[in-house]
Amino acid sequence: MKGIKDQTYYEILEVSRTATSKEIQRAYEHAKETFHADSLAVYSLFSEKEVKELQEAIEEAYRTLADEGLRRSYDQSCFQTAGEGPTNEPSRTREISGEKKSPLSFTGLSFHAEVELYRGKALKQIRERMGVELQTISREMKITIKTLEWIEGETFEKLPPLVYLKGFLRSYAQSLGLNSQQVIDEYIRFMEESKKK
Amino acid sequence: MIWTIGGGKGGSGKSFITANLGICLSRLGIRVILIDADLGGANLHTVLGISPPSLSLSDFIKKRVPHLQDVLIPTQTPNLELLTGAQDLLNAADAKSVQKQKLVRSIQSLNSDTALVDLGAGNALSILDFFLMSDGGILVVTPEPTSIENAYRFLKSAFYRKLKQAVSSSSVKTLISDAMDRKNDMGIQNPHDLMRAVRKLDEGDAQKIVDEVETFHPNLILNQVRSKKDIEMGFSIRSACLKYFGVHVHYLGYVVYDQDVSHSIRRRRPLVLENPRSRAAQCVMEIASKLANSHKIAGELET
Repeated sequence: MKGIKDQTYYEILEVSRTATSKEIQRAYEHAKETFHADSLAVYSLFSEKEVKELQEAIEEAYRTLADEGLRRSYDQSCFQTAGEGPTNEPSRTREISGEKKSPLSFTGLSFHAEVELYRGKALKQIRERMGVELQTISREMKITIKTLEWIEGETFEKLPPLVYLKGFLRSYAQSLGLNSQQVIDEYIRFMEESKKK
Repeated sequence: MIWTIGGGKGGSGKSFITANLGICLSRLGIRVILIDADLGGANLHTVLGISPPSLSLSDFIKKRVPHLQDVLIPTQTPNLELLTGAQDLLNAADAKSVQKQKLVRSIQSLNSDTALVDLGAGNALSILDFFLMSDGGILVVTPEPTSIENAYRFLKSAFYRKLKQAVSSSSVKTLISDAMDRKNDMGIQNPHDLMRAVRKLDEGDAQKIVDEVETFHPNLILNQVRSKKDIEMGFSIRSACLKYFGVHVHYLGYVVYDQDVSHSIRRRRPLVLENPRSRAAQCVMEIASKLANSHKIAGELET
């Protein structure tokens, strides 16, 4: 529970410290949209002064994190002195990875896998590369770990009926900032082709 | 598990969502009790297509029937029962915390897996307490300024009430009460200002507040969305709540605006039964599958 002035630039934009430039861009756009003076999401919650402060903090955070050089200096001054690095702090990184998904959801622009199809194994590979634990997705998206394992393991016979599976795939995709419709379409196409074989 | 469905404004679709979620959950094999606690106008039975029930919670409280189980109304859906009249208890001037806790215990003792409580509109203290006592509070909001304003008002009231219940010092309790009024003399404009003021008064209570905030995870359903922008508003509300309260809101999902909804309500036939292929019904089913899974997760944790 920190005020805006006490938050790091990463917290202000709700991204992890290992966020890619695309993820930072998406998060910035989401933050700008959310904390716009006419945004319904801030209506009646923040005062005009608070919204202005938030906007300034978001711009400052983006200016720094979008520039590789400035970001490196910021990381050094902010974290390295305390002996912290993104890799030295796995639990925190995981937690933030879980948070960062929200600004990216329903947009599908944040992460493009270098694989041709969103099948279970590819999804697992992407998730692991992003450092997101199954438990995090399970907790945030309210999907059992078993179901997630079946999705990733392509254990089609144990998966729930299609209408529910689509919902789970959508949540899974959103939690990783993937294009949910593409994940659903490709996964189901792959599943049906596999079943035919 | 007890889920409460509230969110301030009337007409945002709480009863519609409660009834249809209940049906979806019961079809997934979960034994569900729908509880109507709408102070303003209890009509969950109408959404379910049931005539006004003759038995209610009052019959149990006034000992006209021996068991709470006896006042449950069966519905046309297996695994789904209805309990009406909970608003009488919440509305009663003498509804003390003990009585509310007794009601929660009675609900928990019923032969069911999940209870969905329709809290109706408003943010009376009883409603807030029930929202905070439940395993999961769900806010139903439509993407309109009036609905969002009421939802934030509800959330603020619930938030400050939760903090007030957690702290021990009477001076901190008073400070929290005063902070709820933005025109207070202390210049406390938001939860962060409050936190700074509490730290000066009582470090122990400040830590309690931090702990409470970390465990407060209200859920959000956006109803009657008409565009992608509306859908994304759920994520914006979540970000706004994180910045303002420091609270992580779970965006459970959205239900699209669909004429089939009003048709089903007019026919007094729940949408997921009347028109399960409609877009709105599909949205409700998705949300139900998430609730069902969290139910399973809770079950796994218990065993």
